[in-house]
Amino acid sequence: VDLDEVSMTARTAVIAALTGLVTWQPAEGQSPGDARNSIVIVTGAQATLPIPTLMEGAAANLANMEIADQLFLRLAGLGPTLLTAGDRNFVPLLASSWTRRDSVTLVFDLNPRARWHDGVPVTARDVVFTMERARNRSITPRLADLLKHITGVTAEGERRVVFHFSHPYAEQLYDATFHVAPIPAHLLDTIPPEVLSRSAFAAQPVGNGPYRWVRAVPGQFIELRRNDDFFLGKPKIERVIVRAAADPDARMNLMLSGEADAMDNIPPPRDNIRRIAAEPSLRTIPVPSPTIGYLLFNQRDRRDRERPHPILSDVRVRRAIGLALDRRLLVRVIFGSYGEVPYGPASPILWIRHGAPVPARQNLPEARRLLAAAGWRDTDGDGTLDREGHPLALTMSLPNTSAIRKQMSVLIQEQLRGIGVRVDLQQYEFPVWNERRTAGDFDLDFVSLSQDPSPTGLTQSWTCNGGNNVARYCDPRVDSLIDQAMLSQGDPAQHWHTVLRQIEADAPAVFLYAPTYVYAVNRRFRNVSLNPVSSWLQLREWSVAPASSTPSR
Amino acid sequence: VSGWVLRRALQAVVTFLVALAILFVLMRAAPGDPLLRLGGDRPISPREIAVLRARYGLDQPVGTQLRSFVGGLIHGDLGVSIEYGRPVTALLAERLPATLLLGGSVLLLNFTVGLWLGVRQAVRRGRREDRWLTTLSLAGYAMPSFWLGLVLAWLVGIHWRLLPAAGMQDPLLSSDAGWATRAADVLGHLVLPVLTLSVVSIAATMRHQRSAMLEVLRLPYILTARAKGLPERAVTWRHAWRNALFPVITLFGLWLPILVSGSVFVEAVFAWPGLGSLAAGAVGSRDYPLLMGTSLLVAALVVASGFATDVAYGLLDPRVRLA
Repeated sequence: VDLDEVSMTARTAVIAALTGLVTWQPAEGQSPGDARNSIVIVTGAQATLPIPTLMEGAAANLANMEIADQLFLRLAGLGPTLLTAGDRNFVPLLASSWTRRDSVTLVFDLNPRARWHDGVPVTARDVVFTMERARNRSITPRLADLLKHITGVTAEGERRVVFHFSHPYAEQLYDATFHVAPIPAHLLDTIPPEVLSRSAFAAQPVGNGPYRWVRAVPGQFIELRRNDDFFLGKPKIERVIVRAAADPDARMNLMLSGEADAMDNIPPPRDNIRRIAAEPSLRTIPVPSPTIGYLLFNQRDRRDRERPHPILSDVRVRRAIGLALDRRLLVRVIFGSYGEVPYGPASPILWIRHGAPVPARQNLPEARRLLAAAGWRDTDGDGTLDREGHPLALTMSLPNTSAIRKQMSVLIQEQLRGIGVRVDLQQYEFPVWNERRTAGDFDLDFVSLSQDPSPTGLTQSWTCNGGNNVARYCDPRVDSLIDQAMLSQGDPAQHWHTVLRQIEADAPAVFLYAPTYVYAVNRRFRNVSLNPVSSWLQLREWSVAPASSTPSR
Repeated sequence: VSGWVLRRALQAVVTFLVALAILFVLMRAAPGDPLLRLGGDRPISPREIAVLRARYGLDQPVGTQLRSFVGGLIHGDLGVSIEYGRPVTALLAERLPATLLLGGSVLLLNFTVGLWLGVRQAVRRGRREDRWLTTLSLAGYAMPSFWLGLVLAWLVGIHWRLLPAAGMQDPLLSSDAGWATRAADVLGHLVLPVLTLSVVSIAATMRHQRSAMLEVLRLPYILTARAKGLPERAVTWRHAWRNALFPVITLFGLWLPILVSGSVFVEAVFAWPGLGSLAAGAVGSRDYPLLMGTSLLVAALVVASGFATDVAYGLLDPRVRLA
């Protein structure tokens, strides 16, 4: 082998490769019309089991729910106000109408044109079959818990379904329609529930929604194709690709390179929103988020859960910490104009936040007064308050996976130093953080929570026996007020506001931020509407602008 | 020879079993309960957690769990992933091809271009080309692959739009596209991640190959070969290069598992659907069965590559077999 010959060959190869690179185009095999009428959505995780009644445990995630919403239709959908109480603010989907027989009985009439993707009509039997599975605690414990107030579901003929409830309450229609969409009894009644997740149906689900399942390429994408016979109107976009990229940088790159048309929740830092907005083919759309971030105070001693917390069991200290923080500044620094300070534990998608009081502003004199009243003074002049020889020192636990919380925790630490409260930050790997918080091993826990559209979810964290009440906060008045709000008829907003006011007065946490998500969507799409509960729910109404309908790449 | 290979193989099996036991125990000893996060924002009850713990066998003592795992392993069963609810072997089988394609391409590039450039540098020692290549290789070696990946994705994928910025295939490609079209599509997606991983590895190989060649080129038998009037290419490639391969074989043994397990960041930046990203997700969710599956695969590769290196040494240098 002559080195010069090798060198020449290598040079030729490099030149050929470079020529190949600069002439690279998207692969042939996609017809222009097909690509024009398609949308590529990039998300953080790939759906693995997008089938109602199977989305339990690890499968109860947003990725599965959003794909399931394209495949399976609910009886009714939440209206634009996202009001979950009462019977009026819902839009008909599988059910064309509903009536109330009495305060504990709801009757749904199914749309006679509704069909499964295999052409079989959707019947009352499908709804009864689904609800039987969903209410079976041994099959679907999560759903069964959500549907615990439904005592029975019966069919009256082919098209009528009757729901029976244990007692009158405001969210009966929400419970009957939101948590689970019907699945096809004619395809599933012979498959035992315990093997359904490994069945052919799970690999190739048959739904009744606007889009039908085509394929899943593991770790890469899921492809759906429009249901031409969809009874509520043929979707205008023919093909939907939901592409998974766990890394935020990869998602950004796919958007900015034109390889994706839409992205949910542009990831931090805030500069990413500017980068998307600067791209002429893309636009940004703010959407209310279900997220709320707060600093949770442990009410019990982290070393002995039977004893009250030596510092934080005093409401004056908790209130002082809340008043010492300039929450508006924190939100502005981290989220810019895409966030706000919440009043109580109410995220932007919760309807109860409308009409709620304005959150308190920073008030350092009052914070200092409260601490002094609680006996905390800086006796040794080291800048940290102390009482009976013990410094006012707390630890703040947070997961190291959250860029927002990591950034904000440093600012909080600095602001609290200003009133003599020393905070040590403890960042943990997510599972470790989760394990410690569940065990109550923290002083301050920096939580970011995703809420359901229903305020009844508040019971999980803010009632004495709430399953997620890791801080052991307990105020029987709040429990009672929540019960009243849930049972109230008519407009229960006032009841819920009373709940929020009482929680704010107890100060079990400092409610720090309620962000607005910012989505990115290619400008060639028209009639774009994004749903705060399930981002792409209204995709069937989107269309492609004829003049600028070629893909950006 | 066969006895020596058999002994080495036996050692490899024992090493693998020890690695298995250590991995299994360490994983269970690490903090973070895989079941606590399953309820998401709506926590699951202690009763449900107990049911799930029994389902995944996590309620058993670690020794019993290990015995059960080894029993499954013998039958090719690595258990069911907590996160995906599917058999771990199926998940590994889905992701392995992407990893092998990426890692294999990097290795191929590494041990062709890297070796060739290293040899070229050695035979041109001290000349301008050697100095330039030394500078370039040091720069490449010092370049963090996570930074390089981001820069390449931005420059080539976004700014110039020459190549796909992420993914392994164009999802809009019709399912009835021909194999050549599909291959070209995958190749286009492969370029940037391979380039990112190759820069560092080629630089390392070049440095090792250069110094190994320089060592050999100084030896008396090379002088003898030249004195016999052999052409320079024969001296270089037939006489010197073969003996300068030993350190590089070691390097190959080290690179193989690193490319499978160590490309986590590059897989993430380029949304490459390989084992690295699967393993990273399993760590984050404490998905013990999946974590064990990916770790064992890497352990097997480490052991296998070590074994292959030993055998290659033995074949190239009989003295090794006697050692």
